[in-house]
Amino acid sequence: MSYLEYTVKSVPTGIGKFWHLNWALIVLLTTVAGVGFLMLYSVAGGSFSPWAEPQIKRFLLGFTLMIIVAMVPIWFWRNVAGVAYGVSIILLLYVEFFGTVGMGAQRWINLGFMRLQPSELMKIALVMLLAAYYDWLPLARTSKPQWVAIPVIMILLPTMLVLRQPDLGTALLLISGGGLLMFMAGVHWAYFAAVIASGIGLIAAVFQSRETEWQMLKDYQFRRIDTFLNPASDPLGAGYHITQSKIALGSGGWTGRGFMQGTQSRLNFLPEKHTDFIFTTLAEEFGFIGAFSLLLLYLLIILFCVVSAINNKNRFASLVTLGVAATFFLFFAVNMSMVMGLAPVVGVPLPLVSYGGSAMLILLIGFGLVQSAHVHRPR
Amino acid sequence: MIRTPLRPLARILEARASGENPDAIERENLRIRHEQMRDASRGRAEGRLLILSVIFFCAFGVIGARMGVLAATEPAEPRAASKGSAILAQRADITDRHGRVLATNFETHSLYAQPLQMIDKERVAAELAAIFPDLNQDKLLKDFTGKRKFLWIKKKLSPEQKQAVHNIGDPGLLFGPREMRLYPNGKLAAHVMGGASFGREGVHAAEVIGVAGVEKYYDDLLRDPARQGAPLALSLDLTVQAAAERVLYGGMKLMNAKGAASVLMDVHTGEIISIVSLPDFDPNARPSPLVEGDASDSPLFNRAVQGVYELGSAYKIFTAAQAMDLNLVNNQTMIDTGKALRVGGFNIGEFQKKNYGVLSVEDIIIKSSNRGTGRMALQIGVKRQKEFMKAMGFMDYTPLEIVEAKGGKPLYPERWTDLSAVTISYGHGISNSPLHLAAGYAALANGGTYIKPTIIKRTGAPEGTRVMREDTARYARQMLRKVVTEGTASFGEVQGYAVGGKTGTADKPKPRGGYYDDKVIATFASLFPAHNPKYVLVVTLDEPTETSGKKPRRTAGWTAVPVAAEMIGRVAPLLGLRPEIEPGELAGITLTSN
Repeated sequence: MSYLEYTVKSVPTGIGKFWHLNWALIVLLTTVAGVGFLMLYSVAGGSFSPWAEPQIKRFLLGFTLMIIVAMVPIWFWRNVAGVAYGVSIILLLYVEFFGTVGMGAQRWINLGFMRLQPSELMKIALVMLLAAYYDWLPLARTSKPQWVAIPVIMILLPTMLVLRQPDLGTALLLISGGGLLMFMAGVHWAYFAAVIASGIGLIAAVFQSRETEWQMLKDYQFRRIDTFLNPASDPLGAGYHITQSKIALGSGGWTGRGFMQGTQSRLNFLPEKHTDFIFTTLAEEFGFIGAFSLLLLYLLIILFCVVSAINNKNRFASLVTLGVAATFFLFFAVNMSMVMGLAPVVGVPLPLVSYGGSAMLILLIGFGLVQSAHVHRPR
Repeated sequence: MIRTPLRPLARILEARASGENPDAIERENLRIRHEQMRDASRGRAEGRLLILSVIFFCAFGVIGARMGVLAATEPAEPRAASKGSAILAQRADITDRHGRVLATNFETHSLYAQPLQMIDKERVAAELAAIFPDLNQDKLLKDFTGKRKFLWIKKKLSPEQKQAVHNIGDPGLLFGPREMRLYPNGKLAAHVMGGASFGREGVHAAEVIGVAGVEKYYDDLLRDPARQGAPLALSLDLTVQAAAERVLYGGMKLMNAKGAASVLMDVHTGEIISIVSLPDFDPNARPSPLVEGDASDSPLFNRAVQGVYELGSAYKIFTAAQAMDLNLVNNQTMIDTGKALRVGGFNIGEFQKKNYGVLSVEDIIIKSSNRGTGRMALQIGVKRQKEFMKAMGFMDYTPLEIVEAKGGKPLYPERWTDLSAVTISYGHGISNSPLHLAAGYAALANGGTYIKPTIIKRTGAPEGTRVMREDTARYARQMLRKVVTEGTASFGEVQGYAVGGKTGTADKPKPRGGYYDDKVIATFASLFPAHNPKYVLVVTLDEPTETSGKKPRRTAGWTAVPVAAEMIGRVAPLLGLRPEIEPGELAGITLTSN
């Protein structure tokens, strides 16, 4: 159903919109962010600086942005999807040439008060563009090859730019996020089967290319894969992250050591303890119960999004909601898997918990879209 | 899908006929079509969602299960697999003769930077400069922002420094494990140990190589994997060495000397029990060599081994011994020292222009008469004197197992004339190290066998060459004992240890020829106990001045002798010697049988 087909009058307007927000979702998001503040406070040794305080400020900023985005009608966002995508591409290109180098990768634009990662922006922009595309595309054409090629290009273009930074984690997230959205839009399953098959082929090729002239990944990327396959091979070198975080999880046990009692993270055994590996602190201090509760919170957030998407008769709104949910899911699934040694170490933060401005803001804007879709759903 | 025409004429006509509004039908048709499409897409979308949900839940399940598994495991500290073992070869320890450690290895960390991975280069440079005051912040920043991908910052870190660097928390700063050489006793036996530094360096390990002393001399042996790290035992005794260093340091200060050296040698095995050169240094932080000036002013300079000096009257005993050994004289042969001695156009005089008159050979040694030994030297002749000096090891560098030994090459005249023979007979015109002198005295002390000095603990019997008859050596020892009891070394008497020895005071040569009259090398070469010598001790002071009297005194009897006596009194008990009452003089009996 297109927005032209239902009376806009059935949609709440003005201040009234406020009451139609998905408040349960907001509570969930705030709870997860609160867990993040606690962890950052603990990692800093019981101090709001240097991490917890800026994180809280960013959350408040993001929260405000979320409400603003939610108040704007969803059809507006549908109409600006192309613009958002274009701006993101330009920013990615800008980073390519003028960005700040961090950890050997060019990822940031320094805005003064925060560092903006255009690759994060792209995650939401891509979801918006694909949803708009499938909203516009007549259903009958969904699986036609030429109409499948267009979104594939839309996904691959930013992926290539992100890979050049290089940021393998975000690139994988973009591909799988976009793929999930195409899947949900109803593209024939045979395409996915083909992609998965060729993906396996590509992985084989990448490994074949190792130590040849046309080596496709950087040495450190290979080492991460090696370490993932066998972390014990180099526990003090490249396998250090994983081994240490496994120790942290193990030492947390079922109930944890208690708030601010984590030894692994507080004694500086863990690198990146406030960003990508913050989950280990949680697992160590609150044990399996704490970690699993966080997982449940994430599950609930996904569930609320899915329910909202199913109940939304508008295709764009529904797809955007699912797309944001899928991106969110990929974030925490990859991060947790990585920390627990189920996946290679790629730089993916734990959503809403890890210290970092861009990811937090972008996710909250994404949830703003979800809220907007929820508020402005056809009734 | 069967398409319904937008305006099915038949139905419209039909409707018109029945008076209904065809627009309503049209709207109805539109609605039905949309609903059909929506249902189709919904059905498909719900199917897809179902599949995705299954995938989501599987992922949840896997992650949750993994959490449970990890929570249930016992945390175990990771152990490093050996890496880069190619150059991580354990260097063997060095111990003293009783197995006490003199040099060992110590695990530490090196610090290096990978500027590409650095987040905040300015902060890192500033904080590093704060931790290590010897680093320059601007230079560091230049290195970090330049094209370099890798640079060493520090080769060794203390644990405190490592923690401080760790706290900077920058991923571009990395630590590498590294083994370093540690001399736990600090300055003790510094010149023997020498020191070690790094050879080939890697991130995971570095090669430790000896740069001086035994460390360099035995570098290959210490690193030989076949020895499996078995320690190298030196002949040094840690306690004796420590005592000797303290006494010598005190003596050097008391006598206002600028340097000092001592050698304590076991006369039967040739083992060096203690060897000291002052000023010294800490081999853990070996100073860099002097770039200008005299190398012998550097604390690195080993005076006991490298320092070749004209050691003066201490050589007289060798002349007397050789003359006795050649049966030219015996210890009571009278020689007229009052008569002028003119050789090669030079008048040979006595110290302070004294005139001793007619003296026995014994008294020549006791009173230290230049003319007396000069006359004996003329009797011996140049050729035989030279051969004897060669046999006593005074013509070659000492074979001590430290690299510096080769630097102690003796100086002697190329043309060995009668004049040379006379001056050499009382220790001028030939320069030797204190170690040379100790080895020579050891030959007198052990009954006439020259044994090469060694710094390594001996296991088998030493090889020696006989250089004089046993009775010659005995007469020489009796003379040396009398030098202490009746002669110039009266301060050398140590109760219970019957010290014998000979002093030597030589004016220091000026760099451009001639001699200083206020700078001397004062030496006391001694053996103890004189009736059955076990050890030889040589003490040399560089430019001593004893100032307790009205006039400054520089002769060895006032400077080196008291220091040596103090040292003997201190180390003899450590060497396991008990004070003994000296047996009575039996020399007379032997004499009559001669």
